[in-house]
Amino acid sequence: MNIDSLWRENSVHRAAYVDPAVFALEQERIFRRAWLYVGHESEVPRAGDYVLRCLGPEEVLLVRREDGGLSLLHNRCAHRGARIVAEPAGNARQLRCPYHAWTYALDGRLIGVPLADGYAAKPELGLAKVARVESYRGFVFGSHAPQGPALAEFLGGLASAFDNMLDRAPAGTLTRFGGALRLEYRGNWKMFMENAVDLVHPNYVHRSSVEAARGEPGALEADSLTQQGAQMFLANGMRGAQWDDVPLHAFPGGHVYMGGFYKGGVIGAQREDPVFAQYRKQLVERHGEEKTAAVLAVDRFNNLVWPNISVNSRFAAMRVVHALAADRTQVEVLGFRLDGAAPQMHELTLQFINLAASPASLVASDDLELFERCQRGLSAAASDWIDLRRGVLSDRRQADGSTLGAGTSELAIRNQFEAWLRHMR
Amino acid sequence: MKAELEAFVLNEARLLDERRFAEWLALFAEDGVYWVPTLPGQGSPQEALSLFHEPKPLLAMRVARLQRTDAHVQAPPSRTVHHVSAIETTDDLEVRSALVVAEWRAGEARWFAGRVLHRLRRSAEGLRIVLKRVDLIDSEAPQRAIAVPF
Repeated sequence: MNIDSLWRENSVHRAAYVDPAVFALEQERIFRRAWLYVGHESEVPRAGDYVLRCLGPEEVLLVRREDGGLSLLHNRCAHRGARIVAEPAGNARQLRCPYHAWTYALDGRLIGVPLADGYAAKPELGLAKVARVESYRGFVFGSHAPQGPALAEFLGGLASAFDNMLDRAPAGTLTRFGGALRLEYRGNWKMFMENAVDLVHPNYVHRSSVEAARGEPGALEADSLTQQGAQMFLANGMRGAQWDDVPLHAFPGGHVYMGGFYKGGVIGAQREDPVFAQYRKQLVERHGEEKTAAVLAVDRFNNLVWPNISVNSRFAAMRVVHALAADRTQVEVLGFRLDGAAPQMHELTLQFINLAASPASLVASDDLELFERCQRGLSAAASDWIDLRRGVLSDRRQADGSTLGAGTSELAIRNQFEAWLRHMR
Repeated sequence: MKAELEAFVLNEARLLDERRFAEWLALFAEDGVYWVPTLPGQGSPQEALSLFHEPKPLLAMRVARLQRTDAHVQAPPSRTVHHVSAIETTDDLEVRSALVVAEWRAGEARWFAGRVLHRLRRSAEGLRIVLKRVDLIDSEAPQRAIAVPF
């Protein structure tokens, strides 16, 4: 396939979204090469702890070994191919296949084979290991490619999103908590990543929840959960020119974030209650006044790590996009506990996720509907090219190699396709 | 009293099926909460994520939105049947039931199933919902957009 035939000056061919052959190539060249988030170290604290995850197209086990290190193993017996583990999480001293009892150590080594004397030579197959596994300050990533950039290099300008989440924890560490919300849509995975940094759509797609919140003015003085919801819904009602004050920062590698999101106090305005005051005091003890102010002032929304992660450090939340087919995508939404902070601080994380990212969310449900409409529309051969030129005139190259663009620009999407083309060629 | 409580939850379900959302909302006490947890046996909304966790003012926004024509996820609107059965009641106004919801929208049908707990209170206006908790059997599963409450 000639990938370059799918792109011409700031336009992409619809095949990038609908063609199963393009999707197969994405699996091979993006999801089997890039660093993909697989889990958090706090999910496997003790030796023998494991979680079952997807790493691109493969099911893998993230395992804490006896020596404290992490193994990332394919969940597939080296003998006849059965899945070894079927529960999403657990603890085991060794991994034993339920079919013919081939048994593996926590590092994947084969340590037991029944009727071994029936073999001419002792089998030495272990569980297949994922080529590379690395942790960035507790966030564990895997890559199916034996070679490539180190994780920190890959994260580049967006490693700061993880740093900021950690800096917000009074104890300096995070713990995954609260289970997960999972949503699905019959559309291409790229749509989710594009929509997360598309600031023109909110005023149209989310109009109904904006108006619903405007119709309940008392909500801004109601309980904290209702307040948080009303603020979030109302924020989507900003007009085009106002969104331009939320600049896009696009980085090499396809990463991007929106800055200046909370300037007007539109979402999650800085809290002034006693719980937040105590939390801030804890941070000052850890960082000092100056750094604390800087950590809390980070007002980015949707830090996107290409190809498939969105981080909201302010709410200690993260979304991971799983591409299942050209027209089928699942998104997992995860929360983190800021270790050392009062429980009320964690409620903010749960509430943010419930309100913004549940499949039943007044906001997210309309996004999902639009993804499905786009997929249906793009499946038709009415015309082949998708125009991504909006905002090209506002792009400003920065000294650090990033590009700054107006909030309403399609810069972020063009930047994502730059990374896409580099991987796909 | 059992008959009264049964009639209450059956009526509540019918209001949803008939898209009489404002009347449905009115069945909630002012401090009432609609809650759909993600974890089986989840102790509280503070313990883990929820598909829905909405006190009445938030629920009012949901209902206001459902009555608009620009809620894209309801264009076209869903048709639902809330099938409530196996109703058990207690003297302190708790109602437990089994729920199956069939939904048809935009050419596709889907199904949800779960157990429901209603915690009710008597008021001058009649019975009111203090808590409606719905535990779906697939509460942790990926779901496509959900608009109509269970």
